[in-house]
Amino acid sequence: MKELSLYILDVAQNSISAGATRLELTLTEDARGWLTVVIADNGCGMDPEFLSRVTDPFTTTRTTRKVGMGLALYLLAAQQTGGALYMDSAPGQGTTVTATFDRNHLDCPPLGDLAGTVALLIQGSPALSLRYRHTTPWGEAELSTEELKAVLGEEISLAEPEIFTWIQNNLSQQEAQLEGAAQSYEKPGRTQSHS
Amino acid sequence: MTTVQDLVNRLNLTTFCLPDGGRGITGGCYCGDLLSWVMGRAPAGGIWLTIMSNVNVAAVAALTDLSCVILTEDVAPDAALLQKAQAQGVNLLGTPLSTYDCAVCLSRLLQAQA
Repeated sequence: MKELSLYILDVAQNSISAGATRLELTLTEDARGWLTVVIADNGCGMDPEFLSRVTDPFTTTRTTRKVGMGLALYLLAAQQTGGALYMDSAPGQGTTVTATFDRNHLDCPPLGDLAGTVALLIQGSPALSLRYRHTTPWGEAELSTEELKAVLGEEISLAEPEIFTWIQNNLSQQEAQLEGAAQSYEKPGRTQSHS
Repeated sequence: MTTVQDLVNRLNLTTFCLPDGGRGITGGCYCGDLLSWVMGRAPAGGIWLTIMSNVNVAAVAALTDLSCVILTEDVAPDAALLQKAQAQGVNLLGTPLSTYDCAVCLSRLLQAQA
């Protein structure tokens, strides 16, 4: 996985496998280049014993093989930039996975296609209530399936190809604007101090 | 057929963990450090050259059924990797050579034996 969006897709798939009906994907960037990714669901959650060994690559709920690499690789990706991974979960209480990345670190993967990732998640689970937010000091991108459903009405499934395309295009535009705004944003530390 | 033990002898490799030295090399060689990438591409029965040294290396080796892993550039496994390699029966070796130089040596050796 060469892009963060692929890791996010992988971890979010765990939420869906855990029976989540609500999923919040929140990316928060600060002016110094730190990115915090929070993936929060209301799925079945994990007991403390499973939670304690969930980033071990030899832990998996899969029955076809004994290795599950999703969270193990996500942890590694965060650590390789000097960041960390935190997990909060309890049975029946859902799971929140928080990862931090230093985007200025050479080993930090690019964000990748976040719009495609969100569109794919919605198309794969059209009944899921998903809220995506990408917040930065230079602007924000946002999408909520609840708002989409309110506009479209209950009869139209979010899995329709036209909806998939609309979500992807809409979010791509928002993300492109964010990226453009980041270029012109004066980051502290990059500017010379005037004393 | 060339075995993992032959590689150790011929290339003077460090043996961090060698539970199955008699295993034959049946899948060529793969070089890479992005584990998720290697996971889908390393050939079963092959040799994997990497500079990564965390516990996930044992998982990738077990998942792809590699004949052995060679840590290049004098990299040593961390404690968790060594323990998992032993538990999972992964042949884990080391060399001071760079990944490229090690691959060149392996290529010569495997071609001579073919």
